[in-house]
Amino acid sequence: MTGSLLICRSFAWTLALVFFATAVSGCVSFKEIKAFASVSANAASHDALTRNYIEAPDRRKQYQPEKFHGELEAQKARREAQRASLDLLQQTVTDYMQALEGLATGDIRPYDKSLTNLSSDLNDATLLDRNEKEAVEALSTILARTVTATYRLHELKKIVEESNQPLLDIISATRKIVKKGIAPDLQVESTLVERYYDNFMLAPDNPPEPVAMALAKEVRAEALGRLENRLRSIQAYGVVLEKIAGGHQYLYDHRDMIGDDEFGRQLKQYTGELRAAYKSLLDISRE
Amino acid sequence: MDKLSPDDAFELGNQFREAAIALGDWRLRNRAGLSKAQWEELDDQEIALLNTASGIFTSAIGAILTDSQPALAGLKSSVKSAKSAIKHITGFKEALDLASALLLLAGAVYSGNAAIIPAGIVALQDAAEAILASDEPDA
Repeated sequence: MTGSLLICRSFAWTLALVFFATAVSGCVSFKEIKAFASVSANAASHDALTRNYIEAPDRRKQYQPEKFHGELEAQKARREAQRASLDLLQQTVTDYMQALEGLATGDIRPYDKSLTNLSSDLNDATLLDRNEKEAVEALSTILARTVTATYRLHELKKIVEESNQPLLDIISATRKIVKKGIAPDLQVESTLVERYYDNFMLAPDNPPEPVAMALAKEVRAEALGRLENRLRSIQAYGVVLEKIAGGHQYLYDHRDMIGDDEFGRQLKQYTGELRAAYKSLLDISRE
Repeated sequence: MDKLSPDDAFELGNQFREAAIALGDWRLRNRAGLSKAQWEELDDQEIALLNTASGIFTSAIGAILTDSQPALAGLKSSVKSAKSAIKHITGFKEALDLASALLLLAGAVYSGNAAIIPAGIVALQDAAEAILASDEPDA
């Protein structure tokens, strides 16, 4: 009698635990965090940004007399020395977003497989029938996933809370470099190109050569077009960074709502805007 | 004198560029009255101004990179924590312990082996509590 009662209680306790597991695992979804982090990780690094910035002094040699080339070489060396730090700014954001994505994704497949093996071994020993064996496997997997989800939720909140300020600081620094440093520097290059071809066409004592003038105008327009494309590209990258910062700020402000439907809907909007900004950047880069 | 802030330096760079553009516009407007030597002299000055602007932008970017070091260190630390957490999930032994404890108990219940049920209950409770109370899994 006592043994039967104990069996009944244990079974009830197990069922309660399983129902709890099913309920909790059904509530917590990190799908939208995963999507946001995944797009952010891809969009955060813009390789051409650093490369174009460092190569700029070399490009400008063709528009300046040789006596300025030494100065341009020195400037290239100063920029080369900044390469690692510039790359690190972008790479750190990418690394963080990949880590966030990994945390949101988890990795429960090998874990499920181990459970299946364990379940089979145990069932062989206790002589459960096939239906019982399947039921135990299914319920065990649900419970294991729930514990993983609970742990991941805890870690996600912690990481988002700790990272928000440094992430925003880094994005702000990168945006400032792009907007106030690299973009105006490209405008300097545009000015150099304009002057170079204007000089060719308008310098005193230059004989009027209609064919050469027409060619110069064409080459001038092409060179300025390339620079305009670079400028649009880094402006688009600035928008991408702004969207990453906005999405992460939302994540931070609503970290206690992670897993909630409304949270997922809102974050999806941020991800959609980021995706559109990234697509625009890619489109410009391909032109 | 205090060092220029990056913002001040960016502004100064823009002023150099604008000065070079203004000088170039003047040179083109007045080209009829300039000798070749005067034209070239002004041309060189404009190039020097533009290269100076570019040099100032390079310095200001360097200053921002230096200022960003504390934020970079903070974020890198968070990245490390996140990676550690991911590693923890991948080899999530506690959860396996819990699942196996559940299987043991369920197996005992189904098979009617009452002798192992109390031990199964304790094992299951211990595993669940250990995981749910685990705030610092790597500590």
